[in-house]
Amino acid sequence: MLTTIAAAVLATLAPMQGETDTTIAVPAGASLSVNNFGGAIVIHTWTQNRVKVHAEHGSRGSIEASLVGTTLTIKAGSRHGSPSVVDFDITVPAEMALNLSGTYTEIEVNGSKAAITAETVDGSIDVRGGSGNIMLNSVQGSVTLADATGRIEVNSINESVELSNVSGQIKAETTNGDVTLWGIKSSSVEATTINGDVEYEGTITDAGTYTFTSHNGDIQISIPEGANVTLTVATANGDIDASFPLPFRGTREKHRYTFKLGTGSARMEAESFQGDIELRRPAEMREHQKEKEKDKDHEMEQEEP
Amino acid sequence: MNDQWTDRLSEYVDGELANGERGALEAHLATCAACRGAVAELRQVVARARSLEDRAPQTDLWSGVAKRIGAGQVVDIRSRRFSFNVPQLIAASIALVLLSGGGMWVALRRPATPSGTRIVTPRPDDFTMNASADRQATRIWTGRTDAAIADLQEDLQRNEGRLDTATVRVVRENLALIDRAIGQARAALDADPGNAYLNLHLADTMRRKLELLRRINAIAAAQS
Repeated sequence: MLTTIAAAVLATLAPMQGETDTTIAVPAGASLSVNNFGGAIVIHTWTQNRVKVHAEHGSRGSIEASLVGTTLTIKAGSRHGSPSVVDFDITVPAEMALNLSGTYTEIEVNGSKAAITAETVDGSIDVRGGSGNIMLNSVQGSVTLADATGRIEVNSINESVELSNVSGQIKAETTNGDVTLWGIKSSSVEATTINGDVEYEGTITDAGTYTFTSHNGDIQISIPEGANVTLTVATANGDIDASFPLPFRGTREKHRYTFKLGTGSARMEAESFQGDIELRRPAEMREHQKEKEKDKDHEMEQEEP
Repeated sequence: MNDQWTDRLSEYVDGELANGERGALEAHLATCAACRGAVAELRQVVARARSLEDRAPQTDLWSGVAKRIGAGQVVDIRSRRFSFNVPQLIAASIALVLLSGGGMWVALRRPATPSGTRIVTPRPDDFTMNASADRQATRIWTGRTDAAIADLQEDLQRNEGRLDTATVRVVRENLALIDRAIGQARAALDADPGNAYLNLHLADTMRRKLELLRRINAIAAAQS
């Protein structure tokens, strides 16, 4: 009964001069679903069991909200049928699971401690936080994830994918872009691209599995001293370079070599058809990263008028 | 899932297949979701088994087990190495979740160096295919994948109208990118048909194309 009343009350929120502001009480353990055809979805978190919605939209736009069971659904509507562009700024309980989707939509999440699903076609996804199942998918935009833990799948098609300070089971994939993984704590990592570089800096856990593949790009991996890993590296047209001695394990195929470091407990595959495979120590990777950031800053300075 | 590879997946996960077999199986995996799922399950089982604490259970279960299967034939099971089929290992994964504090270590623990009796499924000692057979095998699995790709491309052509023109352009560019990669991998494999890495790489690149097409078709279908 209470749910029915809430759903009826929340059916359509009246816009005031192209803006909507409302705060909705939600039960503990509630989840949020937001669908926005175009514009932005920005999520912040707080400790209250309420969801505060601020939306900016055209005068013809409207916002629909309904709380059914423990799911609060917020949608951008339009009085004349055609989808409108809405910029949502929503504050939610930190533990609230999030399901965010759109077509021409930028998605940003800050400070979540819950499961997150985010999907957009033409827009970037930038998430800081998250715990549990985290699935982020964009077609034309970049995807970045930081400070998260759980079972993670991050996917783009035409842009880069970047993870930092992330732990758990990780799968990161793009077609036309780099895959960059920094500060990773994981025993299961899979990172792959067709046309881009792959970088990995993180733990190599005993009995873990790590797979890094590219077709056109280089693969650069940090191997901490004392790592116990059986490393298989393969390249058809590139070079293999390590800044430390690689004890040969005894299987040498054409294009493919296997090395055993320490007990060889973890398994790692690094393969690039056209690119190079580079194995570095963590300190070297950090130095390399600093150089890249300097170059980027320099490029930006030159671009500025 | 009931194909020629079903009983070989545990050997694959254990790294026990010969290069030619491994390449052929990896090519098969690219087009068989059921076997891919089974391999993922097996890897989780292995990872889980490896991560178990190497300690004896509070109650020694083995003596009771030994009595039931026939006294007097008790051997030190911990010095043996076992090969399980897929259903057994999936069942073991469930058992591991339930019993990870204790008794399953007896059955799954492996010695640091393999020794003693080894129970494995019989198989040919040598699996070396000649170049002609390799090319034939490649033609078979790539042919199946090509057919699946063609179906999905037809679907995409029907669905393209639901997508923004900029999205269609980006998708086409990315498909072309993958096609170039597939072409390069095919050419390399044609020159070196038994190469396990090239087989795997081609299979993986074709899988990427399948997945991209499936994903875009799903997005297009969702647009009304």
